[in-house]
Amino acid sequence: MTAPRTVLAAAGLAFAFLALPVVGLLQRAPWTSLGELLGRPAVAEALMLSLLVSVLAAGVILVLGTPLAWVLARVDIPGRRLLRALVVLPMVLPPVVGGTALLFALGRRGLVGQWLDAWFGLILPFTTAGAVVAATFVALPFYVVAVEGALRLGDDHLEQMAGTLGARPLTVLRRITLPRLLPAIGAGLALAWARALGEFGATITFAGNLPGRTQTLPLATFLALETDPEAALALSLVMLAISLAVLVPLRDRWLPGR
Amino acid sequence: MTTPALALAGATRRNGFILEVALTMAVGETIAILGPNGAGKTTLLRLVAGLERLESGSLRLAGRTVDDGVSVAAPHRRPIGWVPQDRLVFDHLTVAANVGFSPRATPERTAALIDALDLTGLADRPVGECSGGQAQRVAVARALAADPAVLLLDEPSAALDVESRHLIHRALVADTKPATLLVTHDPVEAATLADRIVIIEDGRVTQEGTPVEIRVRPDTRYAASLAGLNFVDAHARGTMATTAAGTGVVLAEPAAGPVHVVIPPSAVALHTTRPEGSPRNVWQATVTELRPAFDRVRVALDGPLPLVAEVTPDAVDRLGLRPGRSVWAAVKATEVTAHAA
Repeated sequence: MTAPRTVLAAAGLAFAFLALPVVGLLQRAPWTSLGELLGRPAVAEALMLSLLVSVLAAGVILVLGTPLAWVLARVDIPGRRLLRALVVLPMVLPPVVGGTALLFALGRRGLVGQWLDAWFGLILPFTTAGAVVAATFVALPFYVVAVEGALRLGDDHLEQMAGTLGARPLTVLRRITLPRLLPAIGAGLALAWARALGEFGATITFAGNLPGRTQTLPLATFLALETDPEAALALSLVMLAISLAVLVPLRDRWLPGR
Repeated sequence: MTTPALALAGATRRNGFILEVALTMAVGETIAILGPNGAGKTTLLRLVAGLERLESGSLRLAGRTVDDGVSVAAPHRRPIGWVPQDRLVFDHLTVAANVGFSPRATPERTAALIDALDLTGLADRPVGECSGGQAQRVAVARALAADPAVLLLDEPSAALDVESRHLIHRALVADTKPATLLVTHDPVEAATLADRIVIIEDGRVTQEGTPVEIRVRPDTRYAASLAGLNFVDAHARGTMATTAAGTGVVLAEPAAGPVHVVIPPSAVALHTTRPEGSPRNVWQATVTELRPAFDRVRVALDGPLPLVAEVTPDAVDRLGLRPGRSVWAAVKATEVTAHAA
């Protein structure tokens, strides 16, 4: 099919708009000193901290998000539509608002936070654990949406079949539901992990910007932009590479067809 | 009397459709459920499996009440095996893991069924690689391996290759322990496998009996159609039965009151001119359709009595039969049977 020229032109403009920043980044990248820049203690520290925080967040997301996705997809609970809307809220909520909300809920004087402090001596704001909480908060919906979508796409006939063969509900979950859900779990986890890795607004609001404790890659990049643009570029390249690494194995899920 | 494998008397409702059935099955008995599409056959199986629940009445399996309209035992607590129409094999597991899936399946039983259904060569392959016939054999073996008191089969051999069909039938005949509820569209399969046939139409049992009983004395047009018989409701007085349309049919034996009149299509003789002599029942009719059936041709006729005649292909040529052709249909009174409605 031949496309009208105006449509082609607009599409080309949109593509250029998306591609240009990446080109700008690559063109200015300090390729020769990249190794030295990434080897700096402050950069390496931010990199390690980001990995730690995002992997911990991914772990929490896997353990809590899977049951949530299953319940939302399969259990007939009253107000399910409202629950779904609440679950995806962090996807559209400005992260700074999310961080503020976390502060009022889990801060030292917060709704739940005051009890965490009083009972367990657990203080979340301005700690690495707080950074994990912030990352989990913004990334969890991405995982739940991916897994719940896969669950709702398939019907529950195989689960019914397994039930008639005498398998208890937990056995059905373990032997039928979860194994068949693995691709969606993998995709959702990769997506959520990438989102957690890039988290900025909620982290800086809730967990602050403490080097070695809560200063993750995006925070370090933003800070370096003022003082050390070369380092900021190097950090940006690392995150671009990670984003591409997540996108490539998932492209068949998001970009189906030829 | 020993405990029946299944005792059901009750009703269930689904999207306004009501299924109301009373059914008892002895241990080892096979019942074929026949009926038109949408009659409630699959709903009946799902009810026994615990995938639908009773609105009233009760269902007992192997002596235990599993549904009384109030408390309902979940499918995994019922002694059943289910082979649904769409197979539902676990295609992330191997053939052997599918067959042995049930916690009730013993390794010996699983191995024996893999062998009986000729799946040995495929045992370690993922079910996803199997053909349709092989997958259906897996589904049957899996249900039998679960050691069911009641086996539920939903058209187990519909659209299957001859070999798979044969293997499945042989396995079902070999395993005499479960009571088997077999939903089918195929009267031949029903007659081959079932001790008894239950016909369901519009959510109700309209007839039950042995295959022979149903062929000889069908109570509904659907039951008659299973054996390809002509069927009409009439009112008899002596040897004359009159249909609602006012057509008279001469019977072999006298009868009285409302009757079901049955005429085998092979007894309907076709002529181009009005036949002379012995036949008592002669009607002028128009050919509406010709349909080949094995070595015969079934000729649908529109006339005072809607009829199907079965003739040889040779007769089709000789009489010049084609849709729109006007013919004379003659039936000897001795070929016409009537039984009380």
